[in-house]
Amino acid sequence: MTIVTQSYPKTSWRRFKASAFRVMTLLALLFVVGPALWLVLGVVVRAVPNWKWSVLTTLSQGTSGGLENAVVGTLVIMVGVLLVAGSVGVLTGIHLAELAPARKNGKAGGGLFRLAVDVLAGFPSIVLGYAGYVALCVALHWGFSLLPAILILSLMVVPYIAKSTESALRQVPTAYREGAEALGMTAGYSLRKVVLKSALPGIVTGLLIALAVAGGETAPLLYTAGATNSLPSWSLVHHPISYLTYYVWTDYNQPSAQAHVVSYDAALILVVLVLTLLVVSRLVVARTQRHSESFR
Amino acid sequence: MDEFRKTDISPDEIKSVLEVLDPDGERPRNVITTSGLNLRFGDQQILSGVNMDFPRGTITALIGPTGSGKSTFLRTLNRMNDKVRGFRHEGDVALEGRSIWSSDQDLLDLRRRVGMLFQRPNPFPMSIKDNVVAGAKAHGIAKGKQLDVVAETRLREVGLWDAVKDRLNDSPYRLSGGQQQLLCLARALAVGPEVLLLDEPTSALDPLSTESVERLLRELTPALTLIVVTHNLGQARRVSDNTMFFYEGKLVEHGATNDLFNQPRETNTARYVNGLMG
Repeated sequence: MTIVTQSYPKTSWRRFKASAFRVMTLLALLFVVGPALWLVLGVVVRAVPNWKWSVLTTLSQGTSGGLENAVVGTLVIMVGVLLVAGSVGVLTGIHLAELAPARKNGKAGGGLFRLAVDVLAGFPSIVLGYAGYVALCVALHWGFSLLPAILILSLMVVPYIAKSTESALRQVPTAYREGAEALGMTAGYSLRKVVLKSALPGIVTGLLIALAVAGGETAPLLYTAGATNSLPSWSLVHHPISYLTYYVWTDYNQPSAQAHVVSYDAALILVVLVLTLLVVSRLVVARTQRHSESFR
Repeated sequence: MDEFRKTDISPDEIKSVLEVLDPDGERPRNVITTSGLNLRFGDQQILSGVNMDFPRGTITALIGPTGSGKSTFLRTLNRMNDKVRGFRHEGDVALEGRSIWSSDQDLLDLRRRVGMLFQRPNPFPMSIKDNVVAGAKAHGIAKGKQLDVVAETRLREVGLWDAVKDRLNDSPYRLSGGQQQLLCLARALAVGPEVLLLDEPTSALDPLSTESVERLLRELTPALTLIVVTHNLGQARRVSDNTMFFYEGKLVEHGATNDLFNQPRETNTARYVNGLMG
């Protein structure tokens, strides 16, 4: 008996290690939460005192005026990215997780495809933006406009969506798939009705991050979307389109107090937009997951 | 009542009338027949030379130590092994005389006719009602209001209706393990199978749930043919008509359950059923 007890470390030492680890994880969390709070509060504190609701209903005039055109422009771009990058990314993820044939050694297939996705994720956004400018705006004569902006932003965020879709699908319990298979469901039917349902939170999270990134991105848009004081038109090409980050960036670099107000307003709207997106998607996920194994 | 008692029809005559009336009379007596079945994964031989008939309406227990090949055998019968890497088969499995691998045997229809219940309850992440009708929906057996009828009928059949009738839209994971397994059974029954394959269906359940599942299995015959893998020898004795004993990749012995347990012909069978070998 004594031999057994002696082979364990002392209780006090174990307690010390446990609390030390706890402190480490808390510090790491603080490292994430601190800056996030600081940024959000910084924006709110500077924007709210000068906030006028008319910002949302007035068009911009250079570095003054409202932000209506930019708000609508950003929303249009986000919807475009959701449609283009969402469908491409989710389909890519489904292919990598479900359809790519496994390799001979039993590991997951689709190696080259996955490598391509990773390479795309590694590109600096400004490089993508410049490539988009050269290939779409100049070579195809589309000019600064909505379509190149959506395409380049989509290219940028597709890897996030594909990766998160793939890993969400891989985490679906084999028992679901086997159960569906044994009932005589086709692979497609079981994917739609059983597998995707259980992978949904992961997929939605990927879409969200992608959308937030797209909404907050500046560099590729500077090269592709251009800027304008008017509302977005229905044409996909030849008409420049405004977006919020443009005003955050350009107006903050102006030497007038009025421009700074607009800049902080734009930042605040962006923050609220992203937070709303987060909350809404969490609600949607909670609703669809009320029958899941983890949600009892 | 007395008039019936006074009847002078002999039992043999009754039997012959019943045979004529039997809706399954025209069909082959054996639902599933395996002939010269060899199974392997890659270079590893799992099972060799299995010749076996599964008569309609009976329960067959598959017993044997872990790794003896009984689960692989079971999962071959509805072709669940086909997609497993390196799976090869020689010989044949016939469902009512037709090879399950023949080109005119539709895989989805095979799985509808030969259902399966797994070791761990595996309800889908959808409501209790949707779980029961999931397969029926997929096969287009019922739709709309009919689904409610299917759900109620099958839940009653497995004795779960009273427990869940007020919470059909609840998550199945709020049910106990035994109830979840009954739910999976209801789901399997809802597509109208002829054969049910059960892979240690009660090994994750408590004794009371086990008892209700076993009782249910007895009630499902002779309408269905059941093939049950079990590590529980008592269960094999209690529920099965026939027993197959697998050992080291061979079907060592098979026969009526009583005979196999009381007068085993092979030494290994005797050692296993008497608990001398695990």
